[in-house]
Amino acid sequence: MIHKLQTRNILIALFFLLISTLPLNAYVGPGAGFAFLSSFLVLFLTFLLAVFSLISWPFRFLLRIFKGQKAYKKSRINKLVIVGLDGMEPTLAEKFMAQGKLPNLSKLKNEGTYAPLRTTTPSISPVAWSSFMTGVNPSKHNIFDFLSRDPRNYMPDLSSARIGSPRRTLSLGKYNIPLSKPLIKGLRKSTSFWKMLGDHGIFSTILRVPITFPPEKFRGHLLSGMCAPDLKGSQGTFFFYTSDKEKIKKREGGINIPVTVHNDKIETYISGPENTLLQDKKELTLPVKIYLDKNKEEATIEVSGQKFTVKKNTFSDWIQLTFKPGLMMKVKAICRFYVSQIHPHFEMYITPLNIDPEKPALPISHPFIYSVYLSKLLGSYITLGEANDTWALNERVLDEKAFLDLTYSNHEEWEKMLFNAIDKTKKGLVTCVFETTDSIQHMFWRYLDPNHPALKTDQANMNAQVIEDLYIKMDRLIGKVQEKLDKNSVLMIMSDHGFKSFRRGVNLNSWLYQNGYLSLKEGKKESGEWFEDVDWTKTRAYALGLGGLYINQKGRESQGIVSPGKEKRELKKELSQKLSGLKDDQDGQEAINKIYDIDELPPGPYKDNAPDFVVGYNEGYRVSWDSVSGKVNSRIFEDNAKAWSGDHCIDPPQVPGVFFCSQKINTSSPSIMDVAPTALQLFGVNIPSYMDGHSLIDSPQNSSSRKQK
Amino acid sequence: MWIFNSVLGKIFEFLFYPFHNLSPWIGMIFISFLTGLFMLFVFRHTSNQQGIKQIKNKIKAHLLELRLYKETLSQSLKAQRNLLGCNLKYISYSAKPMLVMIIPLILIIIHLNLWFGYEPLSSGNTTLLKVKLEETHSPLSTDVTVEAGKGLKVDSPPLRIEENSEIDWRLLVHKRGVHDLYIKVNGEKIKKIVVATTHSLHKISSVKIQGDFIDSLLHPGESPIDDHIPIHSIHITYPNSGMNLWGFHIHWLVAYFVLSVFFGFAFKGVFKVSI
Repeated sequence: MIHKLQTRNILIALFFLLISTLPLNAYVGPGAGFAFLSSFLVLFLTFLLAVFSLISWPFRFLLRIFKGQKAYKKSRINKLVIVGLDGMEPTLAEKFMAQGKLPNLSKLKNEGTYAPLRTTTPSISPVAWSSFMTGVNPSKHNIFDFLSRDPRNYMPDLSSARIGSPRRTLSLGKYNIPLSKPLIKGLRKSTSFWKMLGDHGIFSTILRVPITFPPEKFRGHLLSGMCAPDLKGSQGTFFFYTSDKEKIKKREGGINIPVTVHNDKIETYISGPENTLLQDKKELTLPVKIYLDKNKEEATIEVSGQKFTVKKNTFSDWIQLTFKPGLMMKVKAICRFYVSQIHPHFEMYITPLNIDPEKPALPISHPFIYSVYLSKLLGSYITLGEANDTWALNERVLDEKAFLDLTYSNHEEWEKMLFNAIDKTKKGLVTCVFETTDSIQHMFWRYLDPNHPALKTDQANMNAQVIEDLYIKMDRLIGKVQEKLDKNSVLMIMSDHGFKSFRRGVNLNSWLYQNGYLSLKEGKKESGEWFEDVDWTKTRAYALGLGGLYINQKGRESQGIVSPGKEKRELKKELSQKLSGLKDDQDGQEAINKIYDIDELPPGPYKDNAPDFVVGYNEGYRVSWDSVSGKVNSRIFEDNAKAWSGDHCIDPPQVPGVFFCSQKINTSSPSIMDVAPTALQLFGVNIPSYMDGHSLIDSPQNSSSRKQK
Repeated sequence: MWIFNSVLGKIFEFLFYPFHNLSPWIGMIFISFLTGLFMLFVFRHTSNQQGIKQIKNKIKAHLLELRLYKETLSQSLKAQRNLLGCNLKYISYSAKPMLVMIIPLILIIIHLNLWFGYEPLSSGNTTLLKVKLEETHSPLSTDVTVEAGKGLKVDSPPLRIEENSEIDWRLLVHKRGVHDLYIKVNGEKIKKIVVATTHSLHKISSVKIQGDFIDSLLHPGESPIDDHIPIHSIHITYPNSGMNLWGFHIHWLVAYFVLSVFFGFAFKGVFKVSI
């Protein structure tokens, strides 16, 4: 009892001490200053901004009216939401709908529209999504493949963007100080429909749509998607660390870093971007220390001033890395760590170094602060265009489960962004493209094809349920989106192309070599990557990328030998005849359906940048991995034993996408180019005459004239 | 309590030892720097660092939202509402470290008041010595005398104020230094220190007190008066000190607050503390 009383007295004494100490009246100590200063600053800023936004809002409103931006006046809807499910295959969607596994998509089909969606030629994501956003054919938007070739040296270039060094620099000792911004140029031409909507005062949020890097300026927010680079400037370079000497080899899409374990400790590095601040452009690196705990099966990693523990077979959170090129500059990246083995050999995967959205080294959003905002609100997220690391699974650096974990984790980040955009957009357009469907189908299609060569490998441990689960998950996403929309909103679900099995690869360059159209340097019977051993002075045609075949044309290619005009026409005719219906030497199956002559495809101002032919492969075939990168060898046909077992770079009519809409449309055969004019029409904006697509919704005039008829 | 005060006092004496003859600002900057680091340490180990990081990110996101959705009035208002909500949560995250910090900081401030609160007396100055008796003892009937040490002189007869139970003397400082003063009562002799040094930074205790836990805590400069002696307190009047900044006189507490918070913010990155 006495003890209790004493304690109570001490507590009372302390209380009075706190509130009444002599020189401390009205003063709570510097410790409180931390909290109070910061929160006061926030309160002050909030108040200031609130007053400013309230006072200025009527002026801004009047200014918009004065500028003639009578947004939404002619609009038929308040909100349009377009969800892109890259590569969703119509036959699978139809099958799962028939089985009752996709209730939300079925509801859209029954209450609105479902139709296969005609894709572009070639049926490749960057091409198709560019047509989606511009409403024009590829010859008008200048994107014909992931890669284009530089006719000066026959080397590949990224087709969508060019990133170069700053134009003006100052050499100072070992440094090369930039005096201007680095060159970042988008190569996609024509105007996106959200830019047109913006010009009429309609607000858009565009998330992860392919070929939106570098981000364009318009009235709305945009986060770049496919083709946004990683910090190394590549389309995604993973890192694989191993102490197993047998696993040290060249890896496509990644870097293999051998490590040695000493007393359960590893000292290694992360290979960063080139240090463009230095004259010799040495690569930036970050030291990494790894402490292994074999009993707990975990690794503690020290990097860039941080220390964290990763359990075996678990991905770390996003870790922020800081590279210091010098002159007090910092370049930030984010990445995730995955330890797949601790003992007997250490194995670790690190994702490509993503541009940190909180402090982006390159602009990845419009406005610039949008990526920062998303990062602050939702946490770090993947910014790399080709987000899902398919090469890591192809190269067996990640197993199937780890790949799925990583892919769905990326997907969750995009879902959060989409719902945030839908919540924030009361009127306007919201578009988000999910590449989850594309990546998972590429890597797991073999489970739908019992004859697939990749099923014979030890990496095939799952089953067709993976794809079914994927479609069910996407259906649930659509269900959640539907719940957010009212009757004044329109929802479109679409894919840019479908999917088919990729069992056999066709090496076009080998075929051209064996048929006398491509020559190798004297004494060579094969050529390394990027036409290393090709003799251009005797070569008439070559293939590069996923569907392109080029004539080595005089005056266009630096060492061209085929004259434009009659000689080229005759050569094209000859090639077209020989390649169309090309048969597989293994079983006599037709490998190529059709050769598309670019001159016979819809015209446009950028047609000259296109390949001379687009090869339309038959189902089960695709250009071989070697041919894509300009290799020549003795085999024309080869089995595709990679996990990348489904594809769409085939004859476009064989791989249409899907189109679901909450409204009825006026055709049973929509095209991906029709989405842009439809969106414009829904918001009451005139459709430009140059667009190749047509509105899928009848205009009010058309509707009334039809009724009269 | 005195042992605790004495140990704490020695620590401060040790910390300020190099600064006795320097500008008080140097000592102030030094102790503010140490306080800033101390606050960071406490903040790091007692606060929800992850929560603070997240809520600060949310605050920044809502601030950016105001800019991004400036044309949509309803979104701007929502962002402001969210900002206020996050701010309240942020303050709540700071409450725990604040409560942990407040006790040691009060102790520090009490001790700092001895160093920065008063100026030493000067030679030729007079000051008041006030002896307050226990209420049970009348100043008129209690025999209290003062014995001044070297450098001090009792300059007036005692003034006995019955209603305050107080006896006052005027003292004259005629020599610089730290002087002892003795108050005699009922045969007991109590020592009180009088500071009249030329040091710009010196510990000055204006009051010696007989009291309970709180009194002892608040007046840690000298050992307390024994309980059986009928004197409650002995007080020497010193001129108030202040920090001179380009001719402006500012309270030392203000300088301490600003500087310690400044150092806290300046070094939060070095020590990886989210504030």
